[in-house]
Amino acid sequence: MTLYVLCFALFLVGLYGILTKRDLVKIILASGIMGYAANLLIVLIGYRRDAVYPILEPGKEAAVMVDPLPQALVLTSIVIELGITALLVALALRLYQKNKTFDISKTRRLAG
Amino acid sequence: MGRTPGMTLIVKTVVRLIVWLIFLYGIYIILHGHLSPGGGFGGGVVLALGFLCVLLAYGRAFIAEWLPLPFLRRLDYSSLMLFLAAGLMGMAAGGAFLRNVLAKGHLFSLFSAGLIPILNILIGIKVGLSLFFAVLALAEFDPEKGAEE
Repeated sequence: MTLYVLCFALFLVGLYGILTKRDLVKIILASGIMGYAANLLIVLIGYRRDAVYPILEPGKEAAVMVDPLPQALVLTSIVIELGITALLVALALRLYQKNKTFDISKTRRLAG
Repeated sequence: MGRTPGMTLIVKTVVRLIVWLIFLYGIYIILHGHLSPGGGFGGGVVLALGFLCVLLAYGRAFIAEWLPLPFLRRLDYSSLMLFLAAGLMGMAAGGAFLRNVLAKGHLFSLFSAGLIPILNILIGIKVGLSLFFAVLALAEFDPEKGAEE
């Protein structure tokens, strides 16, 4: 349970960064931290104490293993996060081209 | 210092030595994807990071003459079509999409698991090149002139 709470705290760190920082690069990094917290939570759900990793190897005894499904899910989640980060960086570059700054408090005239 | 393209001599020398090890590691992860942790995506990201090292250390102009970029773009697109063809091969053999049609081989040997290593290699090429091209497009973006392609 403590681990889940710590995961949520990491998520809140990312949310705090998105809500309070003014630099676009820091906002993108904070959104990455939020994504990592979500991935960590999904992997932790599949974790079992004293279990082995779910990979078949020569000469390895069959034993209680952690759940491989959340790990496969997280791989997809990481890929999507990568795409989101690339999209955010492209949008930030466009805003820089328009405003000559990464400071969102100096961003004006978004329409048109 | 003048505006020479890329970073200092130390960084360039280290990158020149280490980039081949990065490529080797990426290829190892792709080829052993059906035996150990890793696979197409992880190995492809390692390959893209190898290209990215050269891009950061030597600059964009060197990348354009070192790599055959138009050929790599075609390889990038064709790997996707080859993946589709590998998937349709299973349907042609009378099964579902991506059904295995090759011999399965022995368990834990490098050439085994039927179609999976081939798909891993295709995904590795696709991920590595498209990630590298995404970063290259962002690096070539000029804030003064806007996007040009």
